[in-house]
Amino acid sequence: MKSTQTGAQTGLAPRAAKERGYFLRQKITPWLILLLPMAFTLWLKYIPILRAVYISFFNYDPIRQPGEFVGLGNYRTMFSTRYYWEAWGNTFVFLALQIGMTFFIPIIQALFLNEIRRCKSAFSTMYLLPTLIPTTINVIIWRWVWHPDYGVANALAKLLGAQPQTWLSDPSLVKFCIVFPGVIGGGIAVLLYLSAIQGISPDMMESAAIDGCTGWKRIFYITLPNIRFIIFIQLIMAVSSAMQMLDAPYMFAAGGPSGASTTQGIYIYNAFNRDYNYGRGSAASVVLLLAVMAITLLQMRFENAERE
Amino acid sequence: MRRRSSDRLTAGDRSLRAIALAVTWISMLLILFPFVLTISNAMKDNVRIYDVPPGILPSPARSLSIVVDYDGVEAENLEAAIRDDMVSAMFGVYTRLSRSSIFETRFYGVRGGKTVFYARAHQIQLQMEKDYGIYKGTVLKPQTLLYRDRAERAARAIGYAFGANGLADHAAPTLAQAETMETLMEALGEKFPLRGHLSACNLRKNNALLLESFVHYMKLPQYIYGKDNPRIATYGFMAFVGNTVLVIGFAILAQLLLCSVSGFVISRLLQPRAARLALMFFLGAMMIPFVSIMIPQLIMYREMGAYNNYAALLLPFLYPYGFYVYLFKGFFDRIPHSYFEAARLDGASNLYLYASICMPLSKPIIALIALQVFLGNWNDFFWAWLVTEKQDLWTLNVALYNISNNVSTKQNALMGIAFVTILPVILLSLIFSKQLKESIMASGVKG
Repeated sequence: MKSTQTGAQTGLAPRAAKERGYFLRQKITPWLILLLPMAFTLWLKYIPILRAVYISFFNYDPIRQPGEFVGLGNYRTMFSTRYYWEAWGNTFVFLALQIGMTFFIPIIQALFLNEIRRCKSAFSTMYLLPTLIPTTINVIIWRWVWHPDYGVANALAKLLGAQPQTWLSDPSLVKFCIVFPGVIGGGIAVLLYLSAIQGISPDMMESAAIDGCTGWKRIFYITLPNIRFIIFIQLIMAVSSAMQMLDAPYMFAAGGPSGASTTQGIYIYNAFNRDYNYGRGSAASVVLLLAVMAITLLQMRFENAERE
Repeated sequence: MRRRSSDRLTAGDRSLRAIALAVTWISMLLILFPFVLTISNAMKDNVRIYDVPPGILPSPARSLSIVVDYDGVEAENLEAAIRDDMVSAMFGVYTRLSRSSIFETRFYGVRGGKTVFYARAHQIQLQMEKDYGIYKGTVLKPQTLLYRDRAERAARAIGYAFGANGLADHAAPTLAQAETMETLMEALGEKFPLRGHLSACNLRKNNALLLESFVHYMKLPQYIYGKDNPRIATYGFMAFVGNTVLVIGFAILAQLLLCSVSGFVISRLLQPRAARLALMFFLGAMMIPFVSIMIPQLIMYREMGAYNNYAALLLPFLYPYGFYVYLFKGFFDRIPHSYFEAARLDGASNLYLYASICMPLSKPIIALIALQVFLGNWNDFFWAWLVTEKQDLWTLNVALYNISNNVSTKQNALMGIAFVTILPVILLSLIFSKQLKESIMASGVKG
């Protein structure tokens, strides 16, 4: 029944030249079809990144390309400036704030949502809503909340007897203000955790219940240990996305005040747009690429390890 | 099963359930907070938004009717005279009674017991004319209001009806509320003198006017960018909606086509080793962060002439995303072999296998990927912002960001336009919430 295909694949029977042409065609057609998608990927994704590597070795001049070759000079000057390391520092403060303030909220929401019997589906739909608000609109909303004169934040501060703050214009508070909107939780993460919790085998739950492991004990000794893998993956992704942060700090404060919200993305953008230093911007791009790749590879390794 | 376990409810179980319910409800309130804030601000007028402390609810909207009598007023052009009065009265009320939440002003010109002139303006219309339109940057007083042809233009923008023989449809109210009359006299008085004689007025509540604000917020793009850009002048906000639909629609189509073809080839036509290599090639492209290729990509696109046009917005979607290729491949792998072998025996071509066997079976994965592409690109901002200078190329996100950075934009208009932007998306996702959730959970298998 499957003679034709097996024969074609193994190519055991040497036949006429016509048939060999057929085998050749069998081998070549897939690549011909893949040619276009691969060419596009190469052109739109791989060539730009190779070009970033290339540009980073030059004192790049966009008009008389490529300008003067400086080798690793761009990297050396970049690593010796404080501004660059501050951008990395900001990234890690953002990350720490995210982990401290917002990362665990979807986990709690999912854990408790799973305990609810009625209207579970309606609640999980509601948890989706924050995903649908684009960053632009979130920024519009929260910039008004943080407004020093008319905002809810200062009204609340006055109500509690605290000093009013300038929030987004305060270098020591700006990162907090940008991360804070995440405390409402929800989003895709809740659904991912929920599906992981629901994926725990009911047998395990049953036998745990028989052993008297119910209620809070079940959460701490059965549920949480069983979803620790996805929590870990989400953590890695949080690190990776904190490194690539661009839209929110840019829209909230354009990287300011005095560079306090400048992430790697804004550093690269500024090098290009404000300092016209394509070489340094590309050098930062390459370093960032390496960092993100390292983290992605780490993630893939853990995922493969878990699957086996 | 369920009954037995509920019979054995321990104290711990009960406290857990109570706290679960409480936490979930608190989360619901938190999630609704941005929406409540948006709606309530959008329904405030441009004085109330600056209240300290900010009010939670908008104050009730009121509608003011003013009747002005023109018996015995000699004017060579009665229409122009009443028109000037109307503009004075409306903007007079707008500035002098700004704290009274008057969301609508109706103006009746009466002569010989008949209504000869009728005009009606929503407060937001007046706000727009003041912030961006005819009276941009002027102090509102009679000299500036009526300077040259301004009153005529303003009246035309507001819209009015004039009939020397009386307007049958617009009967003027005859009774005057004494208190309102007094306030109105005081407000207009000498600051905004009228040629006619104020004969009656009426103030009543009408909260539907709060909703009407949204209609006028939508004209914001025309007011800000319409003068320089004919396409925005014609289509206004819908131009941005159109661009967004075009970009996301193109992204969905391009991804579905490219990823399904690539997935098909990798799953069905390649040997395992070659298939793994090809898949790695596509997945590897995914690892490259946008931030890293932002600069070279912009340089490259500029050299190709893909800058400040649709090519620049659409080209980035023209390569297959590795993750979707992976999803398609996984799906095609699970189609039983027998389907293909039967067709192969009949001499079916690859195209036939792809178009007539794989695709008809793939409806669930197509829906899943279409939703994923939508979710992934609905939030896109930076690239579209980098490559567009012409306003009629802006997507919703770019337009909203620019409108929010315009110094004249008031928070109520901004919140209104933001709310209108997300409302359809939220309604659609509520309708398709089941598919959306399935799509997210299915893709979550691999980050």
